[in-house]
Amino acid sequence: MSSSRHIPFFLWRHLNKLRWIVLSIVFAMLVLLPFLHVYQTYRAAHAYDLLSPSERQLYDVMEALSAPFTDDPTEDLDAVKGNTWSGTFWGLKLSDPLAALGQAAAGHTLYWPFLLTAFIPIAVTAVFGRIFCGWLCPATFLYELNTNFAAWLSWAGLKIGDRHFDKRLKYAVLGLGLVLSAVSGSVMVAAVYPPAIIGREIYYAIALGGFGAGTVFFVGTLLFDLLVARRGFCRYLCPGGALYSLIGRYRVVRIRRIVENCNDCAKCNAVCEFDLDPLRDGFGQECNNCTACIAVCPTDAMTFTLRPTDHPAQGPGHLGRRYRDEQEAEHEPLANGNGVA
Amino acid sequence: MKRRGFMRKIVAGAVLLAAAALPYGLSPLLAPGRVAPRRNYLRPPGALKNDAAFVAACIGCGLCGEVCPPRCILFHARDGAVKVNTPYVDPEDKGCILCNKCMEVCPTEALIMTPRDKIDMGIAQIDRDACYPWVDKGICGACVSICPLGAKAITFKLWNQYRPVILDGCVGCGLCVEVCPHPSVPIWVIDRTSESRAEQTV
Repeated sequence: MSSSRHIPFFLWRHLNKLRWIVLSIVFAMLVLLPFLHVYQTYRAAHAYDLLSPSERQLYDVMEALSAPFTDDPTEDLDAVKGNTWSGTFWGLKLSDPLAALGQAAAGHTLYWPFLLTAFIPIAVTAVFGRIFCGWLCPATFLYELNTNFAAWLSWAGLKIGDRHFDKRLKYAVLGLGLVLSAVSGSVMVAAVYPPAIIGREIYYAIALGGFGAGTVFFVGTLLFDLLVARRGFCRYLCPGGALYSLIGRYRVVRIRRIVENCNDCAKCNAVCEFDLDPLRDGFGQECNNCTACIAVCPTDAMTFTLRPTDHPAQGPGHLGRRYRDEQEAEHEPLANGNGVA
Repeated sequence: MKRRGFMRKIVAGAVLLAAAALPYGLSPLLAPGRVAPRRNYLRPPGALKNDAAFVAACIGCGLCGEVCPPRCILFHARDGAVKVNTPYVDPEDKGCILCNKCMEVCPTEALIMTPRDKIDMGIAQIDRDACYPWVDKGICGACVSICPLGAKAITFKLWNQYRPVILDGCVGCGLCVEVCPHPSVPIWVIDRTSESRAEQTV
């Protein structure tokens, strides 16, 4: 039996590390880009001789970093600008689908040049699901560190939040945010959407000399995650997460449990940041393909599959005790009936 | 019972928060003679003229600020209510150099690509009771020499007489405001439709 076990491709369990590398790069870019912009402004003003020592240090470091890649920093460094809310990469403009939706609601108009910038993210989400949340979101980077911090506090004996709410709450937040945007004529969802907040607040802090009001909100969400519910904002409140979940409902790339390899250890459920139920094949629309459950699985029972719906509940894992007991309960009478002889 | 305890905690938290915030709320009221610094809130070039439409169109991504070479585009980061996170230019801090980069990069219709002489951030206005040449306190001409639009926007009233006069070609970039050496800055940018303009034009 063990010879016929299907073992998933060995690299899948290392994707979680790749994901952390990607998250770190995105976050590092959000910090680096404002510094590069400040450098560009010094450069454009030909101001090196007028700079203070600290400004001069920034100039030198950024010059050293960018010189290998640029001829004219004031122009060439404009190739990559912005954040995950909306950005431009060598002329390709990309925006968050929530930005497109919120802006359409606030202005009561459909401005196609802008809406089209959300097309690629929407297409990627339709295939890979809520992948932005796990692989790119700069808030996820901080929230997962926050989860680790909570785990340390918990080991130290401090009580951390473990409440559970209804996950459908975030769809209500999305709806309410869009209604409020439409009524107020201002893109309200942008003010309560952590990746948008982080992108702009880092820029404010580095280039414009101080954090804005969004930082207060974001620290509030960190405390909420720490003291009330683990990863609570993403699970229960994030309007962008709600939108990505809806778009990715029939995603093609899914994680699936190989029931023959599973031993019901439930490490996947424990590690799942979004409180899903991989152990009982309950991935649903909110799985962000973060692959933490693949990485943690001790028996290679998690892999990718290409189909627009989850595998229906497959029952207890075949390496687990429950499955063995069930099998014995089924086959025992049969064995007795046949007669051992 | 558990719910009551929870509610009590919430109320206690709110009271604590209010008590902690009280000094911050009171200090501006108690501080004598504290005047809020004068700020100009011009929209970046190419912005929708209807400010409500601009606020609805802007998603607060900060791209216009991130490409601005003089970093003149600032943001309502801690103020502005529904205008929060929208960009503005304060010419007393830094004027706009009309480089078009913000209009190119803006993903939405908030900033639309506009030819340089069609930009309308406002129009400059000079206080003739303070400007050095106008009150015969010397010669200056800083505003005239910095103007990126040249003789279409600002000129001297008479040849060799350093009294600046604003013309209709002014787009309100605010560079003149930035360079004005007078401590009270007797030049500023106002809305083109503003009533107060009539008394200052030639």
